[in-house]
Amino acid sequence: MAGALARVVQATKTHIGVVGPLVNINNGSVRFQQTQTKTKFGPLSDSDRVFTNLYGRHDWRLKGALSRGDWYMTKEIMLKGTDWIVNELKTSGLRGRGGAGFPTGMKWSFMNKPSGGRPKYLVVNADEGEPGTCKDREIMRHDPHKLVEGCLVAGRAIGAQAAYIYIRGEFYNEASNLQVAIAEAYQAGLIGKNACGSGYDFDVFVHRGAGAYICGEETALIESIEGKQGKPRLKPPFPADVGLFGCPTTVNNVETIAVAPTICRRGGAWFASFGRTRNSGTKLFNISGHVNTPCTVEEEMSIPLKELIERHAGGVTGGWDNLLAIIPGGSSTPLIPKDVCETVLMDFDGLVAAQTSLGTAAIIVMDKSTDIVKAIARLIMFYKHESCGQCTPCREGVSWMNKIMYRFVDGNASPKEIDMLWELSKQIEGHTICALGDGAAWPVQGLIRHFRPELERRMAEHAAAHGPSKAERLY
Amino acid sequence: MSNSIIKILALDKVATVLSMIRQNGGVFGSLYKLYRQEELKDGKLVGEDSFGNKYYENPRYFYSRNRWVEYSDKFNMNYDASQVPAEWYGWLHYKTDLLPHQDPGRPKYKWMAEHTENLSGTTGQYVPYSTTRPKVEAWMPKPKTSV
Amino acid sequence: MLRQPLSRALGLSPSRVAPLTARKFAEQVQAQPDNVELFIDDQPVSVPPGTTVLQAAAQIGVEIPRFCYHERLAVAGNCRMCLVEVEKSPKPIAACAMPVMKGMRVKTNSDLTRRAREGVMEFLLVNHPLDCPICDQGGECDLQDQSMAFGSDKSRFTDIHFSGKRAVEDKDVGPLIKTIMTRCIHCTRCIRFASEVAGVDDFGTTGRGTEMQVGTYVEKMFLSELSGNIIDLCPVGALTSKPYSFAARPWETRRIDSVDVLDPLGSNIVVATRTNEVLRILPRTNEEINEEWLSDKSRFACDGLKRQRLVTPMIADSRGNLTPVDWEEAVVAAASALRDCPPDKLLAVAGELADAESLVALKDLLNRLGSEKVCTEQYFPLEGAGTDLRSSYVLNTKIANVEDADFVLLIGTNVRFEAPLLNARIRKAFIHKETDIASIGPKVDLTYEYIHVGDSASIVKDFATGSSSHEALKRLESAKRPVVIIGADQLKSAEGPALLAYTQELALRLQDKLADKEWKVLNVLQRTASQVAALDIGYKPGVGKHLQDGPKVVFLLGADAGVVTRESLPKDCVVIYQGHHGDVGAAIADIVLPGAAYTEKRGTYVNAEGRAQQTLPAVTPPGRAREDWKIIRALSEVCGARLPYDSLDEVRDRLGELSPALVCYGEVQNNNYFAQARQLAQSLQKPVSGKLDVQLKQLEDFFMTDAISRASPTMAKCVQAVIKQKQSPY
Repeated sequence: MAGALARVVQATKTHIGVVGPLVNINNGSVRFQQTQTKTKFGPLSDSDRVFTNLYGRHDWRLKGALSRGDWYMTKEIMLKGTDWIVNELKTSGLRGRGGAGFPTGMKWSFMNKPSGGRPKYLVVNADEGEPGTCKDREIMRHDPHKLVEGCLVAGRAIGAQAAYIYIRGEFYNEASNLQVAIAEAYQAGLIGKNACGSGYDFDVFVHRGAGAYICGEETALIESIEGKQGKPRLKPPFPADVGLFGCPTTVNNVETIAVAPTICRRGGAWFASFGRTRNSGTKLFNISGHVNTPCTVEEEMSIPLKELIERHAGGVTGGWDNLLAIIPGGSSTPLIPKDVCETVLMDFDGLVAAQTSLGTAAIIVMDKSTDIVKAIARLIMFYKHESCGQCTPCREGVSWMNKIMYRFVDGNASPKEIDMLWELSKQIEGHTICALGDGAAWPVQGLIRHFRPELERRMAEHAAAHGPSKAERLY
Repeated sequence: MSNSIIKILALDKVATVLSMIRQNGGVFGSLYKLYRQEELKDGKLVGEDSFGNKYYENPRYFYSRNRWVEYSDKFNMNYDASQVPAEWYGWLHYKTDLLPHQDPGRPKYKWMAEHTENLSGTTGQYVPYSTTRPKVEAWMPKPKTSV
Repeated sequence: MLRQPLSRALGLSPSRVAPLTARKFAEQVQAQPDNVELFIDDQPVSVPPGTTVLQAAAQIGVEIPRFCYHERLAVAGNCRMCLVEVEKSPKPIAACAMPVMKGMRVKTNSDLTRRAREGVMEFLLVNHPLDCPICDQGGECDLQDQSMAFGSDKSRFTDIHFSGKRAVEDKDVGPLIKTIMTRCIHCTRCIRFASEVAGVDDFGTTGRGTEMQVGTYVEKMFLSELSGNIIDLCPVGALTSKPYSFAARPWETRRIDSVDVLDPLGSNIVVATRTNEVLRILPRTNEEINEEWLSDKSRFACDGLKRQRLVTPMIADSRGNLTPVDWEEAVVAAASALRDCPPDKLLAVAGELADAESLVALKDLLNRLGSEKVCTEQYFPLEGAGTDLRSSYVLNTKIANVEDADFVLLIGTNVRFEAPLLNARIRKAFIHKETDIASIGPKVDLTYEYIHVGDSASIVKDFATGSSSHEALKRLESAKRPVVIIGADQLKSAEGPALLAYTQELALRLQDKLADKEWKVLNVLQRTASQVAALDIGYKPGVGKHLQDGPKVVFLLGADAGVVTRESLPKDCVVIYQGHHGDVGAAIADIVLPGAAYTEKRGTYVNAEGRAQQTLPAVTPPGRAREDWKIIRALSEVCGARLPYDSLDEVRDRLGELSPALVCYGEVQNNNYFAQARQLAQSLQKPVSGKLDVQLKQLEDFFMTDAISRASPTMAKCVQAVIKQKQSPY
């Protein structure tokens, strides 16, 4: 879901702009006005890595975590207080790693409003269900203490009294590692009453989901923790107003939370020194599909896509020229064809310029052996299956798109239906409660945008073999 | 000669009238017939049907008026043409000159129903009934078993 | 369970309360914050903050299409039909859920808005069967109307040639509601109604995406006394009325505004008729009484109007069997019985469905014949102030104001079945206003949580004297708007006068302390639609000792509650029954005079809060039945005690003479003289020891309570179905 979330928060931003009294948007964006000076991005040096046990080569438990520098000076960070932490996050320019890329510092600052006696909660979104994405699982199984520490720091920043980590049901081992890490932290006095000796009480709970993709949407996730059907809520009110159990809540991605302690320790300016302006920091990239060595790797933001694949994933199978298309940010982002892939920079703005999105930075590489139509059809089937069924455009539209896409695979369709499908995807996009509808619409739009001739070729072929499609009857 | 004088004096008419009156049961009988049938005729009684209707013929009257029926007294004033049974109908309407009992071509079977007159307008008339359910079902009081 | 999140949401988004708080008392306490000005289609509109865009648009007459939004239910925002363009917002917003913001510019007719609507409409129709010709909703279907207004004029659904449409198995939710779930558009109105208003959490969704289904999960009857309302709520034909299925099209029916008489609240109804036949009854919005709901009995018992009817006058023959006779014969027989009877042996008993016109005519007739013995079936204590002061036998708080109460005490009444819509109000207050409820009486399911104080009558005494240390009394005493409701059934027993006296004492003690001097605490919930009018006119409540006097002639005006029986009467007593149904009363009668039911006459009924309302004739009385007051007028002529009115207006003038409140239609007057009633009652405060019990405890008791609902096959089916459901493991 995380990737599909991408646009939600972008849209949210505009909503907030309209809401006015809810938020003052200006206090966050001022610091992004610097000019771009850096031109070369990546590779990241080892000393600058946040996730030092990404490959699980070291001990993931408390002892190993302490040796890697986790829980170092956490008390001091805590004692510096909310404003300092939030400011540091704002300086770092960290944008949410769940896909939407909403500035984290600003999000946390929304929680400063008086809550009227209600407790505040931090909810960590570990429901990593987006096909292609596997960054949070690496954190949770190999570096869980980063997350637990991050919960404490983030919780201090927003004044939360507890964190709920909503972990995907399929992540059994990850949940159990995380649970062990939490137990260790409790025993060591790092969390719980008087966490780290800072005088601050903070609890961390793990909540296992049941495997619904939609529960990765923040409000559906909140509903799910509350024990209801995981169906997104209407916004407004936003979770920062009425969230978990009716209390102000911040929902953050695992990666966002896990990098927070390191940012606080090494300073926001350090983090901001990576990547282009407004896209700063380091990021976990998942590279899967037709590459020689699929991997999850931490890299600097704004690294060129081609370099990322060549350097870390051993290149595309059969060489770069064998590349057909890449989905750059998890299944919900539109694909980009090879010629775009040559030059595009892997950051929020770079991919938006290429009419796609960074999403969760889960790169799915497809070489020329791929049946691209079938691949996208399979993605739509996933979205059709995972649609919660609450609102009309997504419930009816995605399943209709699915039917059409599978006919496109065989070519049993009218060429006029390509335009119709485009319109349908536009009718879904932006008309739903949550971003799942958008996430389902974009892959289709990407396909039509870049592979229209392929669709028309298949239809012509089918018509030649079997006569005109029944779909022509309606036109 | 005397005949012609009688004719001139219209005495034959007088004789006919007298014979009519005689045939119809005297002055009062004739007045009753006049009241009931609005005409007075003399003729030969050719038959009577099972209802008591009497059929007459008198060729002296011109064709179409020379056969007639006098309805049975039990009908009183409520007589009408449908009271003539089918076997007399043909003779009365000049479809045949044979009287029913003289006609060899008229079979009589056991299953032949007795003639019924047209009951329209009487309590015996046919009333079509509705087969749809009544819109309102009336309450039927329970009959009391003990007094 | 529902209460928590809702109240929470209320605390934060006033948009959800706004439609619910359009009440007089609510406005008094809420300080009006500054209004927000916004522009809808460039028209400026100023509304309180928290109003939604859709409501703001409605204020200036711009109607935004919607399916899931319903003003009396929580906002779901899932149909997406109400999407509108807002300037500076990249995507259209859902008008039903979006609170207004200052300077917002909403465009309800722009290209973007229209495209969004058309898109949503197309998606809704993708899986909607186009079976309008055989759909009962046809003609009153929101989907039909809105697809005409906002949909595309041609279909692009090419997949009809390939995989077709979705089909969903129908559910069985009881004998009242027919489900055709393939037609469902998943607006979830029924689910929200069931959990919020009806308080029966039976409905929900199962499955996701296209496989999502609305239903009860396991096959189960919708066990609610308000279930019929989901038929009205359903914007498509997924939920339709089972008794009315395939009966008529809405454009064929004539609709007559009328008033329901099957419970004491006098809910406003619309009677739909065709060819002189009542086909169905629908609720009519009246914010003061029923909002837009209607209880199942009032809605579905209308087929009882076509069964067991008295269609012709009848007289018992020598063997005692009733045989049909002409009006003349029956009137002469009845009149001579009345005339020849010694005045002190003449008794008239009015039943629960009698209208005020016939009540006054009957009383005048008996008075002219020298008898004062006119009484109702329902007893009410005559000691103390008795029925002299109206305040002691009506709902003084008024139905609509109950939802502003902060503490409700119920004494010996199961409001849920005695007055379902009053219970819905209490539940609404419970959910939306943090109102708490306590009950003295048997433990029954009221659909909300309440403090059960006990079932002993002595608790009422302890409460009244303040000697109880129960938490409920403390809450009651600290309440700013307390409400005490006592069920009239409790007053029938020997301890009734004392109970009423204590209740008056309690209520008045509370009322005197209130800051709000307009607020009334004392409420007596009558059980029948005729009782208040009868008491206003001057009927004596209860038959009581008059039966022991050995009456010679008893005139029953629709008295079917079984208070008068043959066994209780002398052998030679003549019973004249005038009414519309062959029920308990007609079965013991010697002379039967067929009258008109409430859908067949223009009659005045006064509801439990003292509000006079009139029914209008929707159909003609069946057979030779006549309007009731006319029958009595005819009798008076033959008796030689001619009544001085010849037209309905003259009867109503006479009603107005007795009490102006009886002819102030739609109005309800505030009652006073509470203190006097309390004073008069003080001497009656004797110790009480009995137990409070109610007649209608379970849902199966609710359906058949009067002559009309007892004659209704649908109601009989409901009773069967409820009993069957109770035996099922679900």
